[in-house]
Amino acid sequence: MQQTLTLYLQLPLFRRLKRNALFIMFIVHLLLYLLTLPVIMSLSDDDDISYHRSPLLLNTQGGLNTQNGEVEPAVKALEARQDEIMRKLYELKAAVEGLAKTVTTPDADLDLTVSSSSSLSSQSPTSTTFRGTTDLDALLGKDLGALRDIVINANPAQPPLTLLVLHSVLCQRYRVLSTVHVHSSASSVPPQLLSCLGPRHPDSYARQMFQLGFTLIWKDVPKLQMKFSVQNMCPVEGEANVARFLFKLLSPYPSDPAVATLVDSWVDTAFFQLAEGSSKERATVLRALNAALGRNPWLAGPEFSLADIACYCCVLQSASASSAPTNVQRWIKACENLGHFGPAKLYLK
Amino acid sequence: MTKEEAPGATEEEQQAQSKKGLKKQQKEAEKAAKKAEKQAKLAADQQSTEEEDFAKDRYGVSAMVQSQQKLDRVLVRVQDLIPEKADQLIWLRARVHTSRAKGKQCFLVLRQQQFNLQALVAVGDRASKQMVKFAANITKESIVDVEAFVRTVEQKIESCSQQDVELHIERIFVISQAEPRLPLQLEDAVRPDGDGEEEGRATVNQDTKLDNRVIDLRTTTSQAIFRLQSGVCQLFRDTLTEKGFVEIQTPKIISAASEGGANVFTVSYFKTSAYLAQSPQLYKQMCICGDFEKVFCVGPVFRAEDSNTHRHLTEFVGLDIEMAFSYHYHEVIDSITDTMVRIFKGLRDNFQTEIQTVNKQFPSEPFKFLEPTLRLEYTEAVAMLHEAGVEMGDEEDLSTPNEKLLGRLVKEKYDTDFYVLDKYPLAVRPFYTMPDPNNPKYSNSYDMFMRGEEILSGAQRVHDAQLLTDRANHHQIDLEKIKAYIDSFRYGAPPHGGGGIGLERVCMLYLGLHNIRQTSMFPRDPKRLTP
Repeated sequence: MQQTLTLYLQLPLFRRLKRNALFIMFIVHLLLYLLTLPVIMSLSDDDDISYHRSPLLLNTQGGLNTQNGEVEPAVKALEARQDEIMRKLYELKAAVEGLAKTVTTPDADLDLTVSSSSSLSSQSPTSTTFRGTTDLDALLGKDLGALRDIVINANPAQPPLTLLVLHSVLCQRYRVLSTVHVHSSASSVPPQLLSCLGPRHPDSYARQMFQLGFTLIWKDVPKLQMKFSVQNMCPVEGEANVARFLFKLLSPYPSDPAVATLVDSWVDTAFFQLAEGSSKERATVLRALNAALGRNPWLAGPEFSLADIACYCCVLQSASASSAPTNVQRWIKACENLGHFGPAKLYLK
Repeated sequence: MTKEEAPGATEEEQQAQSKKGLKKQQKEAEKAAKKAEKQAKLAADQQSTEEEDFAKDRYGVSAMVQSQQKLDRVLVRVQDLIPEKADQLIWLRARVHTSRAKGKQCFLVLRQQQFNLQALVAVGDRASKQMVKFAANITKESIVDVEAFVRTVEQKIESCSQQDVELHIERIFVISQAEPRLPLQLEDAVRPDGDGEEEGRATVNQDTKLDNRVIDLRTTTSQAIFRLQSGVCQLFRDTLTEKGFVEIQTPKIISAASEGGANVFTVSYFKTSAYLAQSPQLYKQMCICGDFEKVFCVGPVFRAEDSNTHRHLTEFVGLDIEMAFSYHYHEVIDSITDTMVRIFKGLRDNFQTEIQTVNKQFPSEPFKFLEPTLRLEYTEAVAMLHEAGVEMGDEEDLSTPNEKLLGRLVKEKYDTDFYVLDKYPLAVRPFYTMPDPNNPKYSNSYDMFMRGEEILSGAQRVHDAQLLTDRANHHQIDLEKIKAYIDSFRYGAPPHGGGGIGLERVCMLYLGLHNIRQTSMFPRDPKRLTP
């Protein structure tokens, strides 16, 4: 390296051609030097790349090739090492990005190898986001040897985004058979509503191979309705209540009653004031959200909960995401980083 | 006392005589006066009838139409008489629904199928008293030719289908007279059952209606039901033809009982006997093996079941489908359910008037369905029934009350009147049903239900001759009798499946009626062979 430099400085000015070639060589060497330097400092396992003169420097006068014009084996080795370094650099970049997400998304138990743009069919966030064990038999009653089918009757004029989100999370946790039907009372249903639960499962011809059934029926109903066990349960009405039912299949409510009540109150606020309220009410709710999110990373405290799902969907549906205050914007970004809200965003597009 | 026996008291007797005589004379005079009056009145009447019948050629009983002449007269339909046609002079032919005289006027209601309107004959310069009297005396149900002016009315005539117009009759002729005593009255035949009991007005017994089907078919309800049935048949044909199906006709006189022994009619066939086909099953399958791929057929089906129920007939119209599929018999189910949904939608969109007419006499809930059709598995049905407290085995067939209960449970949970029950147990299905590949207890067969009653039974058929022989042996069926059937699968047969529905049952259940005889024009059951 130093030799080149002295050579360069000693050249007479009128030897332009040779000087330019040397100048280019100088730049190339500089780049290589810079590349190897930080990697050498941080990666301790690359013992073979010790700080030594690259064989290249011995051939500065003749260029990269030997006198015969063949590529030197030493050059090949160098290229291989270069590739190896680039690969390690990309890995580091991915790791740093994952860490960055963790920093902006408080308390999300993320698998770091997941990319943020997950679609419905690709790799999805693991279910460790929802902690706690749930037992389907305890929640839904004894398994009678047949598919346990949850039937939801929804009005196509008001599609339930929260339930679509919960459905996609349920699909990761259990084997769910999802079907969409149109009732004879519904006049015309847009095609995106017919495919809102995703593509048909290849095993859907054998219903009893599934743990849970999710049947969505677009029907002319005044209020959203869920039916599960006709003998033992009355129908559950309202998107808020159905969301609570479905969430309990994923993870139990927080054990602290104060926190549980807070979650419930946010869920109600989301559905009654954010989704159905006037613009004044919505503004009030957004301010309340801002205040709450200023104190905690998530709405109900340090952990992600149903309150966040409900509020996020309602904010999205009321199209007030862009005009929301700063904390709310940050929280929206954090929610999106989690990747559960793919279906909601897909539908709204 | 005679005049000879009283010579003595002559003056008094004469006086008495003259008194009596006077009285007698008076009485006689009164009698004579009355008689004279009557005679005068009669004479006057006769004079008037003879004098005033200037309209004699504008009414009467026509000579029987034996095609004496070909008139170019245009007869207008009742349903086309609307206020826009006011003041036109038209001819029409209709039945006399009612005729009622009121002083110098006679009101008639003229009827054509489901449409009727009011007509009026009034004494005036165009109509005489005799004409009005004649009109009032025309028997109900007679067919008349009427020439009249169409006039608008200020007040709507609520009881007729054409509410804004009435006819002022110029000429009226009876083309075909009905007997004065009808076996049943049309108003009674159309009256809903509940009403009759409350107000003391009669309704007509079903047997009477069926015995006099010719008159019963004239009622608005019957007209609506059979028009809807025709619609079902047409939608079935159109939908399947659009899907690429070919219509075939199969023989009804066959040599062997297809569904199994007992319920088959025998006919004498020259020197031997033959049977009336219980279903076109065998021939549909042979068509598939004959490379038609997708076939359907509409034709009579004969079942000699001695069941006197609300939903069994000995002869009914079967709409049968059979198709070859690529890999899974659910392709067949999807095709059949799609056809059914298209039929329901077609009825809902194009036959609302008929449905409303039937609902007036037989009120019911409108028919609901899901698209795509709901498909439940047999195990799910058993689980639902167990939950409802019914005791039944896993491989047991569903009894009729269980089917109805299941229909109610499915209606409550999914709010649909039409669904498919898939994967029946193998033990309760015929020998040609393909067993389930993963679980030998079950089969690739399905039933479809409307309002909790079965309308279709279908399955994937066994298309392998060897397996078919094994299954037949298992069911202890004489192989000789079905040799021709098994032979049809020996020369390359595609995997296929299908099913058959009963036209009358589908109509009955779609409209929510309670007896299949209402949807069969001339029903046949163990107790009825005529009309």
